[in-house]
Amino acid sequence: MRKSAYNVLRVGTAITFLWIGILIFREPNAWGGFVNPWVLKIVPLSVYQIVITTAIFNIILGALLLLDTLVWLAALFGAMHMITILLVSGINEITVRDIAILSATLALFLESIPPGSIALWCRKEVKHIFKPPTP
Amino acid sequence: MTPLALLFTLASIGISETVYLIKKRITAQSPICPIGGGCEVVLTSKYSKFFLVPNDVLGLLAYITIAFIASLLVVGVGPAKFFDSALEILVAMASIASVIFTYLQWRVLKNWCFWCLMSAFTIWFMEIIILFNKTV
Repeated sequence: MRKSAYNVLRVGTAITFLWIGILIFREPNAWGGFVNPWVLKIVPLSVYQIVITTAIFNIILGALLLLDTLVWLAALFGAMHMITILLVSGINEITVRDIAILSATLALFLESIPPGSIALWCRKEVKHIFKPPTP
Repeated sequence: MTPLALLFTLASIGISETVYLIKKRITAQSPICPIGGGCEVVLTSKYSKFFLVPNDVLGLLAYITIAFIASLLVVGVGPAKFFDSALEILVAMASIASVIFTYLQWRVLKNWCFWCLMSAFTIWFMEIIILFNKTV
C-alpha cells in the first residue's frame, strides 16, 4: 500500500472511532438499543456500562490510530471490536457499514505489523490466498 | 452538530499532521515535501519556534484543545457558552498566527512548506465554519 493511502486510511479510521465514541457519550441510552438482550445474559454488565465501556474503547483506539502509535495493535483490536459489534447487533441497515470499518482496520493491521513478528506470517498467508492465479 | 463534527474532523487531521512533524523533528529526519520543496528551510528557520517552543508543539496543543472543546460541546457537558467563546477565540488566534506564518514563508523565507500551508488552510477552514455558523 502507498504510504499516503495508508495514512489517509489510518486518519480516516481514527476519526471514525473517535467520533463514534463521542456520539455514544452524547446519547448512551440511545446506543444501548443496539445491544441485543442475549448479550446481557452472558455479560455481567448493565446496558449503560456496556455502552460506556464501548465508548471509552472506541476513543482509545481512535487516539492510538491518530497518533500513529501501536497502529497494528489498535487496528487488531478495532477489527475484533467490529466483529463483536456485527455478532452482537447483527447485520442490519446501520451495521452493514461496519463491514467497511472492519475491512479498513484489517487493512491497517496487515500493513502495520512490526517486521519479524508472528503476525507477519498472517500477512504472508493472506497474500498467498489472494495471489492471482498464474496462467 | 455538523459544524462541531467538521471542527473535530479538521482538528483531528491537524493532530495527525503535527504529530508527524514532531516525530520527524525528534528523529532528525526530513519530512516528505510533496509540494513546494521548501519544508526543510521553513521548518528549520528561526521562525519555527515561539519563545523556545517549536511551532509544531504549539499547533498540536491548539488542535487537541479544539478537538476536546468540540467534543465537550457535542456531549453537552460543562458551560456551553464559555466553551463556545473559547473555541472562537482559539481558532481566531490560530487563524491570525497562520496568516503571519504564511506571510513569513511568502515574503521573508521565500520558501513554501506543504505541511505549514496545510495547517494554515485547516485553521482557516475552521474559522470559515465558525463565521458561517454564526451568520446563518
